[in-house]
Amino acid sequence: MGQEEIRGLLPVLELYLSNPLVIMMLEILLIFIKVVVVTLVVFSLPLPLTYMERKVAGHIQVRLGPMRVGPHGILQPLADMIKLFFKEDIIPSKADPWLFRIAPVISMVPVFAVFATIPFGDKITIPFINYEVSMYISDMNVGILYVLAIAGLSVYGIILGGWASNSKYALLGGLRSSAQMISYELALSFACIGVVMIVNSLSLVDIVKAQSGWHWNIFYQPVGFVIFFIAGLAEINRIPFDLPEDEGTLGAGYHSEYSSMRFAFFMLTEYVAMVSMSILAVLLFFGGWNGPSFLPGIIWFVIKVVLCIYFFMWTRFTFPRYRYDQLMSIGWKVLLPLSLLNILITGLIII
Amino acid sequence: MLLTYLPVLIISGFVIFIATFVFIINSIVSPKKPSSEKLSPWECGMEPIGEASSGHFKIHFFIIAILFIVFDVETLFLFPWAVVLRDIGMVAFVEMFIFIAILAVGLIYAWKKGALEWV
Amino acid sequence: MNFNIVNVIFSMPEIIVLAGACLLILLDLVLYKNQKGIIGYLSLLIILIAGAGTLILSSPSVEIFDRMFVVDGYSTFFKMIFYLSTFLAVLLSINYIKIEGVEYGEYYILMLFAMSGMMVMASSIDLLSIYVGLELMALSIYILTGFKQYNGRSNEAAMKYVILGAFSSGILLYGISLVYGLTGTTQLADIAGILKQQGNLDIGLVLAIIFLIAGFGFKVAAVPFHMWAPDVYEGAPTSITAFMSVGPKAASFAVILRVFLEALQPVSASWTTLIAILSVVTMATGSIIALSQTNIKRMLAYSSIAHAGYALLGLVAGGADGIASVMLYMLIYAFMNMGIFGTIILLRKGDFKAEDIEDYTGLAKVNRGAAFLMLIFLFSLAGIPPTAGFIGKFYIFMSLIKTGYVSLAIIAVIMSVISAYFYIRIVMLIYMKEPVREFDLARSPANSLALIIAVIGTIIIGILPAWFLEMAKSAIFPG
Repeated sequence: MGQEEIRGLLPVLELYLSNPLVIMMLEILLIFIKVVVVTLVVFSLPLPLTYMERKVAGHIQVRLGPMRVGPHGILQPLADMIKLFFKEDIIPSKADPWLFRIAPVISMVPVFAVFATIPFGDKITIPFINYEVSMYISDMNVGILYVLAIAGLSVYGIILGGWASNSKYALLGGLRSSAQMISYELALSFACIGVVMIVNSLSLVDIVKAQSGWHWNIFYQPVGFVIFFIAGLAEINRIPFDLPEDEGTLGAGYHSEYSSMRFAFFMLTEYVAMVSMSILAVLLFFGGWNGPSFLPGIIWFVIKVVLCIYFFMWTRFTFPRYRYDQLMSIGWKVLLPLSLLNILITGLIII
Repeated sequence: MLLTYLPVLIISGFVIFIATFVFIINSIVSPKKPSSEKLSPWECGMEPIGEASSGHFKIHFFIIAILFIVFDVETLFLFPWAVVLRDIGMVAFVEMFIFIAILAVGLIYAWKKGALEWV
Repeated sequence: MNFNIVNVIFSMPEIIVLAGACLLILLDLVLYKNQKGIIGYLSLLIILIAGAGTLILSSPSVEIFDRMFVVDGYSTFFKMIFYLSTFLAVLLSINYIKIEGVEYGEYYILMLFAMSGMMVMASSIDLLSIYVGLELMALSIYILTGFKQYNGRSNEAAMKYVILGAFSSGILLYGISLVYGLTGTTQLADIAGILKQQGNLDIGLVLAIIFLIAGFGFKVAAVPFHMWAPDVYEGAPTSITAFMSVGPKAASFAVILRVFLEALQPVSASWTTLIAILSVVTMATGSIIALSQTNIKRMLAYSSIAHAGYALLGLVAGGADGIASVMLYMLIYAFMNMGIFGTIILLRKGDFKAEDIEDYTGLAKVNRGAAFLMLIFLFSLAGIPPTAGFIGKFYIFMSLIKTGYVSLAIIAVIMSVISAYFYIRIVMLIYMKEPVREFDLARSPANSLALIIAVIGTIIIGILPAWFLEMAKSAIFPG
């Protein structure tokens, strides 16, 4: 086809593209593509993350970490995955088989669903066809509320998994886990409210846009950030708050009885939860994709998230674990009153 | 509206699809050699006694859950309030202050009564 | 945002009670175990302050909170009944809960919360605020019912009450939602306006009315929704039985009168017959089953069911007379029921429960004062002149006859005669039999004050009813 012929086709194409039904179909198609890309990327994230975690652990503890499989052990996570894939899937005889089977999926779906509203960057224009694509799947007007609500759902999977195993360690681990997660969810939400009060919007895109030009919320909400970070650590069950998997007292906690891919899915859930918590911290407090203009926004975003994840890992290998009663009293007696006070003081300042 | 929330459905469906797919592959390639020892609940090598899931757990978990519901509802009130606080101004602040104060009375009560102690 | 200081001023009594209760919770935390009586006296003080506030704010009619809440003579009259019953119940409790070994500060605080719920109910002119008040009242009373925590019967009663109460609340909410669906509003006056315009009767509305009757009927223990009453009355601490046989009942009647005679007045043809049947069945069941009771608290439960039946007759009569007679009846009922339960509490000491009717044998020979109190209150409950109980029934029957329900009035008189039997039977045991045991009274200043107030009220209204009736008539809402 010559250039002339393409030019001749353009009006027809434009006519098609102005049909609302066609536009809607295209948008749904676009959503599908974005969903598949985001899900697959997130699904494969644990591979680099486990490698990173083990390397960080190694170097903090003055050893080398994985070195054997591939150069500098870079293929180690892949080997782990293949190993888990070929393991026997054990369902204990006393367990409730169906709940036991679906619990990992129940806890996995919400942490992925959170990514439906997370903005990775602003709108970009695809060159040549001049089509604007947003770097987020959907911009909900209740974004942050949605994220907190959906992320809270994954506790169902944990408690069901713990209960369905019908093992004492798993049951206790599941109960502890859920009690811990709901306790710290309060402080987490209250810390987010401080940000919402400053930005006047629940939409994550608006929250990031309001922070452009170095007006990062961490400068306005330092207390809120500290509360958010501590509660976030507890929310994703990481040291110093990884009591649900306290191997000294509970075996492996709620996934004591799990093996093979179901176990892998629980681990996947934890890593994805860590990623989404880091992303949330970056979006709420560190200005999202905002940064000096020599790099594109998405790169800044990734850099900040990786730094945040590194920080999570750093705490893991630096601090000892709390006792369970200390954990609950920090949540209810320190963080909760402090976050309420933070809200009231913020409110007093901004009105 | 549809396009805002449709992705949630799609993403959940896609994840469930992947999970099912992985489970099916896993069940094909993994060995299956169950034995009664292997299938019994893990209890550090001891014979497990009784059912774990019959509901014998500390009442504290229940109290924490109740407290959580109270404060979670407060969170739900706070979110819309936080969005419109600047528009309404002082009245909204005072009203929310009273609301938080009432809940704080509840928290202090629970605290003093030892509902938050984990003995 | 329309913030109006008027809202705050005219809801001040409710705010005082709630804020006071919150402060008492905090105070309770720092008190020692044997100092809990302080909470009781402080709650008396709060009730008095709130009562003064209500009297000061009493006005023709002020609608506040976007027409959800009203301060008028009607609500003031009912609030006075609530203050009176809570005041007397607290007075009776101070000594009694020590004897029962359940002296906790929460007891009085929950009573205050229940009272504020009733106050909200009496002032509500919107179905939703009615429901909020009702739940606040009911939830507090569920806990109070099970307050004797080491007593199996008390726990059983609380459990039954909670489950049945939750069920009835659900039914009531369903009725409210149907009304909202059919009229598009929950404001009582607006509902009346829309129903007037519609003219013909919707079948959905009939269903809604049935649900509302079932929901409210449960709260006043009208047959066939009375099953909880005997068990709960028997199991609950006696002071709470006294409290909940008066306060919540009066509050529920305040709401029933408003809902049926204001919002549903335009369709009164659809519910009058139903209420009439319900009240006759209630009177009959209450009076007849009470005959065979051996436990005085159970007997009084059935008697309170029967009294709910009489009060429902006032609703059937309707109009200014009907409303005024129910209001007066509730006031009188507060005095005499508080009195009889107060006397039972007076006799409760040590291991002696004073719950069997046989326990009262020969009381007059040992203690004339207590026997005379029983006599007055039992006569009043039976409706024998010159006590107040007679006046209450009399005005209700009068309003029935005025509106043409002569046959209903005759049935009610017959039931009243039947019920007189089981009240007089106790009087006979007290006065005509030889005593079989020693009576040791649990006297205290607070107890005595409560009984004096109750007995004076019962006699004064019996002798000089006109002033109280005028007060009730001047306080009715424009129905």
